[in-house]
Amino acid sequence: MLAEIGIVFQALALAASIYASIAAFLSARRRSERLLVSARSAALLTFPLLLGAAAMLLMALINQQYQISYVWQVTDPSTPLFYRITALWGSQQGSLLFWTVLMSAFAFASLLLNWRENHRLMPYVIVFQMAALAFFAGISLLIESPFARYWVTQPAPSLPPVVEAHLFIPTGAEAPPMVVQPSGDGFFTQGLAQTANGLNPLLRHFGMIIHPPMLYLGFVGFLVPFAYAMAALASGDLTTNWIKATRRWTLIAWLFLSLGLILGGRWAYDVLGWGGYWGWDPVENAAFIPWLVGTAFLHSVLIQEKRGMLKTWNMFLVIFTFSAVLFGTFATRSGLIESVHSFAQSAIGLPMFLFWLIMTVIGVWLIMWRRGRGELRDEHGFAGWLSRETLFVLNNVVFVALALAIFWGSFGAPIVSETFMDTEITLGAAYYSQVTVPLFAAMYILMGVAPLAAWGAMTMRRMGRALVVPLALTAVGVVVAALLGARSAGTLFAYGIVLLAGIVALYEIYRGARARMLTSRESLPVALLTIFGRNRRRYGGFIVHLGIVIIGIGVIGSTAYQLETIRQLGRSAEAQIGAYSVRYDSLELGQIAEDGRLMDIANVTVLRAGQPVAQIRPRVDHYPGMSVTIPGAHSTIEGDVYVLLSGYNEADGSTATLHIYVNPLINFVWWGGLILIVGTLISAWKDERAPERVRSAATNGRVGAAA
Amino acid sequence: MAQAVWEKPADAAKAPAVSRERLKFLIGGILIVGAIVYLIVSGMQAGARFFITVDEVVNSAQYAGQMVRVSGAVLGDTIRYDEATLTIEFTVVHIPEGQDVTGEALHNAVNDSNATQMQVRVEGQTKPDLLRHEAQAIMTGTYDADGVFHVSELNLKCPSRFIEGAPGEMIEAGS
Repeated sequence: MLAEIGIVFQALALAASIYASIAAFLSARRRSERLLVSARSAALLTFPLLLGAAAMLLMALINQQYQISYVWQVTDPSTPLFYRITALWGSQQGSLLFWTVLMSAFAFASLLLNWRENHRLMPYVIVFQMAALAFFAGISLLIESPFARYWVTQPAPSLPPVVEAHLFIPTGAEAPPMVVQPSGDGFFTQGLAQTANGLNPLLRHFGMIIHPPMLYLGFVGFLVPFAYAMAALASGDLTTNWIKATRRWTLIAWLFLSLGLILGGRWAYDVLGWGGYWGWDPVENAAFIPWLVGTAFLHSVLIQEKRGMLKTWNMFLVIFTFSAVLFGTFATRSGLIESVHSFAQSAIGLPMFLFWLIMTVIGVWLIMWRRGRGELRDEHGFAGWLSRETLFVLNNVVFVALALAIFWGSFGAPIVSETFMDTEITLGAAYYSQVTVPLFAAMYILMGVAPLAAWGAMTMRRMGRALVVPLALTAVGVVVAALLGARSAGTLFAYGIVLLAGIVALYEIYRGARARMLTSRESLPVALLTIFGRNRRRYGGFIVHLGIVIIGIGVIGSTAYQLETIRQLGRSAEAQIGAYSVRYDSLELGQIAEDGRLMDIANVTVLRAGQPVAQIRPRVDHYPGMSVTIPGAHSTIEGDVYVLLSGYNEADGSTATLHIYVNPLINFVWWGGLILIVGTLISAWKDERAPERVRSAATNGRVGAAA
Repeated sequence: MAQAVWEKPADAAKAPAVSRERLKFLIGGILIVGAIVYLIVSGMQAGARFFITVDEVVNSAQYAGQMVRVSGAVLGDTIRYDEATLTIEFTVVHIPEGQDVTGEALHNAVNDSNATQMQVRVEGQTKPDLLRHEAQAIMTGTYDADGVFHVSELNLKCPSRFIEGAPGEMIEAGS
């Protein structure tokens, strides 16, 4: 029953989104307000409908409806409730349904919040949002249905019965038994509940529970700026209206995408057991590319707002951000790319590829058309090399170059070589470090210099003067880094440019606050609050820069100074690594966890200068047919001692093989991520004054009406 | 008409200055694009690997001694792991090209007695959790004169249990 209701909800949502898209298009052509309102109602309806469908799947997961093949694939009777709920997005079909729910939620919210202010854009906003939603809802309903159920059919009396998943009941089919049945007919010795798969053990981690929803929110969130940009192009309202309307939406999408990437890294570090957090895997890259293009867009859009420049470029960026989302989704969900965590092979490859192609071609065509009509002409030219706009363009070049290089490495080179050379060429980690390190260095340098540049033009001398204080402070920082143990010129240079970017961010915040203190005699905390309140985007942006700087410090430390050793140790034996030694104490074999899995746990002591500083328990979890090595880590501000139990005497635990890493400064990566999130929230927060005005206007209106 | 009048002289007056600026930006742009292309090309020289099959690495001399990436199906019985020296040895079987690497494809590969086999040796690494019968091994390394593929990077994929699987197989298996 749950499945039928879910399918009906999905079908209605698909119909509503198709209707909304067509009606909105007609309303734009005929300038019919009535049709537009009707389209909007249908568009708003998709969210509750899809939410209803997801609720049905959730209930099926909780109530263990194993006849639904998705439920059978991702849970089993021993799965705890928490993982039953999160299994909603644990595999392809469920996560696609979940994706459509999030997409319709964004459409819902943006239609409600931006309806009045951006009325002129609305028809085409609905067209593009609902076309995208219709596509994903259609795939989720017809190709990758989460509601397909298992049915037993008898092809011929002499043949054994066949169990297959179908969306609709095949003729003469029966439901398979749920529980163990007497094997009277010789076939059904086990029921569905006993054979169910259960959730992949690697996915049982808090990072993996929140990581996909965050990533999806980031992905689908970019639908809003994309749809508004397309609407601006299609409707001819090419003022900055679409940018103003989507500024905060873009930041919110970017926030979730950043959070998704950070959590993904944390999951890899905690679960995958290779001592790292980023492996340049195609699936990771597929999420990183839209982040890069979106980051370029967030910066260059400022130039259009302030100077009326880069109009065409911004259109390209916003369209390619969403295009990258679609391509990444296609590449990882269709089985196109070999990756450790791509979804299984799927029939959705061709439709997704076509949809990506069509959306991108329409976008590019609209841009070229408007450009051809002279409607995207810039209002200013570039004044000089050191102007802020030129430096912002350089920043864009760096981000786009990173995106292109990573795209080429993960998708371009393998596909091109496979197609034209008959041999696949893949690009390993060496490619990425060679290409991205100089580009990231350029990014940090620009992050340090650009905020100091003025709009319009700036002389070298003025730039030099503005840089004196930050450079002096950076020099101090580099000396400190050298005293703390950074020795190689490369690392010191890397720390130098990263620190410069951070110091400039702090310096700009300080200068803003000091100016405020001088003009209005406020104390420092009040002045800080005022400047952050008045110009959230600017100062929130500096906090984001600080976050990126702190991530940079962590990345440099944990890559340049990582130590690694593998040692087989007897009881009470120690392995020396850097300033630490690690002692193997004992092994607890066959411990039983709450969910029934067996764990072999090593007790390990981390020592520093002969003194014990921590007890850690690296372990191996045994699931039916699969084992997972979970590291134990001793975390401090200096870094982690990260230990994997990679082998042991299974009889008595007399020896254990420990794979030990020292990852200096790695926690800066996570802390920097937190700061980045806080900064983005500050930037995206609604300005204080706007709601007051709205509120007072509303009150006045009501008073007026009453009078 | 009015528009043409105020736009044209403005353009004409700016023309020489604009074109000199333009030239500067053009040269700058070419330098930047050149630098990025150089980065990508040099990166490819450092990181490019042929991604080939077991058949190709064993039977064509052109790959001998060259760093390549190979995909093969693991034969469970052959896995040997020496904990003291951290050496893993196993045999992989050729997976036919032109089809998706599913659990079924891996199962067929390891049961095909005519398929090319290759001995693999991994040193200085601990045994990965996923290294077992019918796993797909994606290995980067060199095929040396000793007839053994020496692996520097080992990745494993197990498509069988948690991704595919249908109750049909299991129900019938129980009969």
